[in-house]
Amino acid sequence: MLLQLMKKREGAYTVERKRRTEHKPTEEASVPEYLIYPLSMHIGAPAKPVVEKGDYVKIGTLIAEKEGFISANVYASVSGQVKEISDQPTMNGKGPCIVIKNDYQDVYEAPLFNEGEELSVDQKKSLIEQAGVVGMGGATFPTSVKLSPPPEKSIDTLIINGAECEPYSTSDHRLMVEYAKQLIEGIRVLHEVLPVTKTYIAIESNVHESVAVMKAAIEDVDHIEIKELETIYPQGSEKNLIKNLTGREVPPGGLPADVHTLVTNVATTFAIYEAVRLGRPLTKRITTVTGEPIKEPKNLWVRIGTPIQHLIEECQGFQLKTGKMIHGGPMMGKPLTSGQVPITKGSSVITFLEKEEAVRSERTPCIQCAECLHVCPVSLQPILISNAYENGDIDQAEKLGAMDCIDCGNCSYICPSKIPLLDNIRSAKSEIKARKEDN
Amino acid sequence: MSNTASLNTKKLLHTPSPHLFSKRSSAWIMQQVLIALLFPAVAATYFFGWRVLLMIAIGIISSVGFEYAYQKLRGLNITIYDYSAAVTGMLIGLSLPVTAPLWSIIVGSAFAILIVKQLPGGIGRNAFNPAVAARVMLKVFFTPWITNWVTPEPDVVSTATPLEYVGHFSRTVPDEVPGLWDLFIGTGLGGNVGETSKLAILIGLIYLVVRGIINIKIPLLYILTVAVITSIYGDYSFTYMMTHVLSGTLFFGATYMATDYSSGALTPDGKTVFAIGCGVLTAVIRIVFNFPGGVGFAILIMNGLAPLIDKYLAPRIYGHRKRPAQEHQL
Repeated sequence: MLLQLMKKREGAYTVERKRRTEHKPTEEASVPEYLIYPLSMHIGAPAKPVVEKGDYVKIGTLIAEKEGFISANVYASVSGQVKEISDQPTMNGKGPCIVIKNDYQDVYEAPLFNEGEELSVDQKKSLIEQAGVVGMGGATFPTSVKLSPPPEKSIDTLIINGAECEPYSTSDHRLMVEYAKQLIEGIRVLHEVLPVTKTYIAIESNVHESVAVMKAAIEDVDHIEIKELETIYPQGSEKNLIKNLTGREVPPGGLPADVHTLVTNVATTFAIYEAVRLGRPLTKRITTVTGEPIKEPKNLWVRIGTPIQHLIEECQGFQLKTGKMIHGGPMMGKPLTSGQVPITKGSSVITFLEKEEAVRSERTPCIQCAECLHVCPVSLQPILISNAYENGDIDQAEKLGAMDCIDCGNCSYICPSKIPLLDNIRSAKSEIKARKEDN
Repeated sequence: MSNTASLNTKKLLHTPSPHLFSKRSSAWIMQQVLIALLFPAVAATYFFGWRVLLMIAIGIISSVGFEYAYQKLRGLNITIYDYSAAVTGMLIGLSLPVTAPLWSIIVGSAFAILIVKQLPGGIGRNAFNPAVAARVMLKVFFTPWITNWVTPEPDVVSTATPLEYVGHFSRTVPDEVPGLWDLFIGTGLGGNVGETSKLAILIGLIYLVVRGIINIKIPLLYILTVAVITSIYGDYSFTYMMTHVLSGTLFFGATYMATDYSSGALTPDGKTVFAIGCGVLTAVIRIVFNFPGGVGFAILIMNGLAPLIDKYLAPRIYGHRKRPAQEHQL
């Protein structure tokens, strides 16, 4: 107990705000008239449109093709007609999008493979790639890339990430509670394509229901272990999960494969199941729409491409004035200023905050409380990096490990003096990057 | 739909993450320290009478006053509303014996606030704990007036302190020393008013830990280190060890002074070394020198070493093999 108190926390006990949606079963969201598909809804190169204005598409029609190794296919999630290919507001500012007018017929494209077909390992991997599966926890890194590491980095440990550490988010939780069987099937697929010897399902202990359901679901499956983790932010960060579960640390600038580990979010695992067992491309996902201003927060099955404004109406609008609309959770999410921004593959939660809670109070002098060091999950000294940046000493910021920052936001969250620590670290990072590019 | 139902996108904030902020402020933290100091303050008032309240009031008023005057005169931001000057003042008021002349509290506050705190740049920039520096300064320059060991009897009498009996190479506890229970509760003890009741300090300590204001490892390791060294030195005599642990400023200093943010170590491992260092120095000063105020000196010396400790004990960053090499600059 005392030793526990003396230990460095490496995380923050942020406010827990899952209660309003935790026990709400997922609902099918209604589908709007126009859906918007950003060509860049993943990390890597934007997909290349393979349809033209006026083309007829079905649910599951490929509309934009992956370009290059790190990229992903994009599929239509409704049947209808391509209205235009133009710049539209997305979570990353305006960007090229395909806009489709829904004909409300819900006509499906044929599955990606014929029923009853025997699939080889390579075919299975290729299906995951074809289906446009990316990391659906928010990182949106193409899953196929993770499945094909160089031979010296073969994967022996699989971590299924159900540690949904963002304060409001419950989409992964509901997926585990309602679709445990499909998730286990998704894990089986991963076992079929990777030489995995150990699988962990990581869940934060505050969501008892998903822990219980998943425990029951794995009873007859070997080599799977449920790891109940402390509810502490950012428990679900890839680097921290790997360290906490396997004791391994991803090297600086490296990937989980460098330590023979693959981490996939539960929603991604579900998409893998759909791709390889049912031949379905990724066209919908569960998105939690929540926050105090929202009148009726929900866990919704949303067709990818649905504008957020449509989901606000789906949740009966607002009961309080909104000060901030966030794609993602309040710790790492991106602020939005348009209701036209569509749900994409990585949209696990849309959070609305009241103005008062989203405003940072006035900055006061640092009192050296060391809380930022205490909560940093990668053991940085945020205040020192921030000071170095403010003194114009970019060399020092780099030496102090600015590039190792994972952007979790804990330091800025915890600071009693309200110093914009993460903002300064981010600025230091971009200056370090800019200088490297100059040389 | 009602007025609030629509989304006025023009009014939405567009600042980067994180979008939530902890409700704690620096002022709130200092308020918690003041609350934690109420426990020894109440005990001191009970044992030494109403004069204690006067001492605390003078400490707070003069410290806050000096900070305000300094910042006003130099055209700086006024920071008295962060309560840190009040904490310093209350610590000084509790750090002196009940017979201390009231002017000595004002002199101490002036030294603490003007020289130790404001000269290096104010809150967060002071290398030394202002209250500790003030009490050591007073002891060094203003002894006889303030270091008399005064018991709270009707006629105040000067006696030797328990530490004088067990310090200075003594390895046993003579009968003159109050019993352990009295040392713990504070009954019949003299000394600096805030330090008498270890029980009251312990309650304050628990309050600060529960509120998440201080890291328990600092007081714990500090006191444990003194316990271990005195235990070994005293041939594992429990009474000898506990007399050291429960005497003098150790509890008070370990709870309210070694835990000071600004003058202590910043890094997690640095805090460990800082606390153990305080313990070693305190034990050594007590055993070797016949000198009251070992805790004050120990904390000041470690304050001076803290930047160096932090420099070498910067935390190892995730994925890296070594601790980052750095200059500690604040």
